[in-house]
Amino acid sequence: MATDADIAVLIGKVALRDRAALSALYSAIAPKLFSVCLRILKDRSDAEDALQEVFVKIWQRADRFAATGISPIGWLVAVARNHSIDVLRARKPVSDSIEESFDIADSAPGPEAETVMKGEGKRIDRCMEELESDRAMAVRSAYVEGLSYQELAERHGVPLNTMRTWLRRSLMKLKECLDR
Amino acid sequence: MTKPDQSEGDRSRDELLAGEYVLGVLSLADRARVEARLSRDKSFARIVARWQENLADFNDDYEDVVPPAKAFSKIEARLFPKNSFAMELAAAGSWWNSLLLWRGLAFASLALLITYASLQSGWIGSLSPSQPLVARLTGDEGTTIGLLARYDAGNGQLRLTPVAAKVAEQRSLQLWLVPGGGNPAISLGVVPQTGDGTVEIPAAVRPRLKDGVTFAVSVEPLGGSPTGQPTGPVVASGLAKNI
Repeated sequence: MATDADIAVLIGKVALRDRAALSALYSAIAPKLFSVCLRILKDRSDAEDALQEVFVKIWQRADRFAATGISPIGWLVAVARNHSIDVLRARKPVSDSIEESFDIADSAPGPEAETVMKGEGKRIDRCMEELESDRAMAVRSAYVEGLSYQELAERHGVPLNTMRTWLRRSLMKLKECLDR
Repeated sequence: MTKPDQSEGDRSRDELLAGEYVLGVLSLADRARVEARLSRDKSFARIVARWQENLADFNDDYEDVVPPAKAFSKIEARLFPKNSFAMELAAAGSWWNSLLLWRGLAFASLALLITYASLQSGWIGSLSPSQPLVARLTGDEGTTIGLLARYDAGNGQLRLTPVAAKVAEQRSLQLWLVPGGGNPAISLGVVPQTGDGTVEIPAAVRPRLKDGVTFAVSVEPLGGSPTGQPTGPVVASGLAKNI
């Protein structure tokens, strides 16, 4: 099993267009990333197509990894999750939820003090325990399976707006707990 | 978006939006809007990165599944069509060439003054057992910055001390490693705008920082290059040397 440090070195080499490193990175991480694609897309053929796209993106974006500050495996999984969720949402659209008026404006330039990110370690587990169990389960399955608010609402047998409220309150509670 | 508590303001809305994005519950259009903002708003990008890090423990739920045997050869076929490796190399070299060209033409007047600081010269206050790499990065008198770069291999930190930092507002200085050999520049990070800047060198890049590499600083949009490669003028560069 490759360590985080091994993976980081491989991503660095991939950023320098090292094809052997891409092959080694594939051997080390493809089973994990294929699992991500499969859990979200729930179809082997779709997941295989997604895996290809994910590795094309890794090849193209490896030089950006250094700027993210997240763990190398975390970054690779994020590339796979983001791609798979995009495919899923394109296939089965859900309604937009960002208010037009919100317009996701840029935040004001802040101090650079946060450049070095503090690892939160395993605190998320403790914080998840503070949530009611059905809400914690909803949060986790949203993340792991890429479920939409609508699908989560159906799975838990609650109205859509209730599910939105559940997840948003859960996110804020998690944030509050992680900041403690 | 939910109605945020007014007293908490934008920060709270950003936290929620970032959390929803990382969770994956947003629509495709909303995801695209978030990603567009991520590329230009570094403090928002940090909030997203933090959620990613915080929720990464859920990644344990993805138990390895071996992909089909021929999957990798398909990826290679996509990325490297036959006989294109030479083209790849040529493309990788183009940035370096354009940098030389850029230096030669646009900054003909920029005198690159490279000074190797030594422990004895008093540039470095104290002795370090790990033989730090030091480069002084300067331009000519018209240039508004000069930096002293000091890399400590022991802790992977590259310390940049602005000798005179005065750039137009709303721009960032970004530090690059130019590996040479036609390879693309590697971002080492964005130099903090004020004071004594320390750049944490990513672990993956650390082995590459050694005697003889070139550091370069470019002027980029606030927060750093949007493309992962230098987009603005290179205002200083210098060779690093073991002292």
